[in-house]
Amino acid sequence: MALTQLKEYLRPATLKEALTLLREGGKGARVIGGGIELVLFSPPDVTTLIDLSELSLSYIKENQAGLAIGATTTLTQIIEHQTVAQYLDGVIVGMLHQVASPLLRNLATIGGSLASANPWSDVIPLFLALDAKVTLFDGKYHSIPLSDLYPTRSHLSGSILTEVLLPVPASGTAASFHQFSRTGFDVALLNCACLVKVDAGRCTVVRIVAGGTPRLGAALPAAEETLMGMELTDETIEQVAHVARESADTRDDRRASAQYRKQLTYVGVKRCLQEIRDRLAEGEQ
Amino acid sequence: MRITLTVNEAKREVEIEPGETLLELLRREGYKGVKKGCGSGDCGACAVLLDGRAVNSCLVLAAKADGREVVTVEGLALWSKSHSRYSTGRAKGDELHPIQRAFVEEGAIQCGYCTPGMVIAAVDLLTHNSSPSEAQIREGISGNLCRCTGYVKQIEAIKTAAKRMGEGADD
Repeated sequence: MALTQLKEYLRPATLKEALTLLREGGKGARVIGGGIELVLFSPPDVTTLIDLSELSLSYIKENQAGLAIGATTTLTQIIEHQTVAQYLDGVIVGMLHQVASPLLRNLATIGGSLASANPWSDVIPLFLALDAKVTLFDGKYHSIPLSDLYPTRSHLSGSILTEVLLPVPASGTAASFHQFSRTGFDVALLNCACLVKVDAGRCTVVRIVAGGTPRLGAALPAAEETLMGMELTDETIEQVAHVARESADTRDDRRASAQYRKQLTYVGVKRCLQEIRDRLAEGEQ
Repeated sequence: MRITLTVNEAKREVEIEPGETLLELLRREGYKGVKKGCGSGDCGACAVLLDGRAVNSCLVLAAKADGREVVTVEGLALWSKSHSRYSTGRAKGDELHPIQRAFVEEGAIQCGYCTPGMVIAAVDLLTHNSSPSEAQIREGISGNLCRCTGYVKQIEAIKTAAKRMGEGADD
């Protein structure tokens, strides 16, 4: 049996009830979406699971602020959603097709993918590059940038992630995602996500994120600064990719060496920026 | 704890441990078509339909299936009958699902251990995409490992089934 210490499996009917159960459950209580990781890693200290599936958090809504996706929406539901398919030339759907397998995507939720903060996550680097915001419920709702969620992860204790918001892309914006893995199914050796907004030929918003370094996805500020205010020429892309390689804080692990990951960062950022340039050029035609 | 779920159109009330997986429950209840392979979501041998979507039952807690509909490979004939879009019109619950039939005819089975999961994944694929390309078929079964035949025969079988069930997959 997977979770031998598990005493309670609860399916609260309201978010408030879920929060109360989480707080009353103390250290042994965990909130679950699909629950994949808890079964897979079976942490021995978990005694209470609080399943969010009854809370009507499975939705994708388009509003003035952007695309709001409920925490228990599965990755498959996102892939199959028409509006998501059109978001920034399908960059989200393209990324999600590279995540695990269809069987797992039918279980995995977007809330779980973001809250579990897995260093190999493909979702987190792209959503960081897209300036996603998450809504947390701790008795009140708080909207914070996804990038604020990870440095301390303190937001994740005693609160429940209920929604992720992808902002409406400004005109002249394009994004791209590239992942390197040994097989289509395997987790990333490294992944890169970039977003660029161009005004009058110059880059005015730049996001360059590398994940699976093998640590959690994070921005590469030196590379972003190199591209700011510049044109997306071959020379600039080469220069930015070079800075990304040099500044990426890569490490060795059983999947790849730090040095190999540096080279992957270079190739990934270069491919992302070339694709962004092509997408922006297509948009102008 | 006690849960109620529907397995292959039969309503079941069962006693489970909170930490038990759906795979463990189903095999204990006699649905031996659901195979235990890796136990970590890599091989897909344990795939079942949960509310119509193929999932790794080794990574689903049985408690999560409370109030939901499970279809195992044993129930596919019944399932294809109740989902008339893919019914052959002759299914009486004792005939193979068109995908199972195609697997047999195309020789897409060797030892057979991966077959139930592979068929379940194919049912999900063809239910949501009636004429998949070969690339989409490959992606559709990318969570199912076969260590005997490779994948060519399975892909051919799924193409054959798609043609029979709907508009077909030509590329």
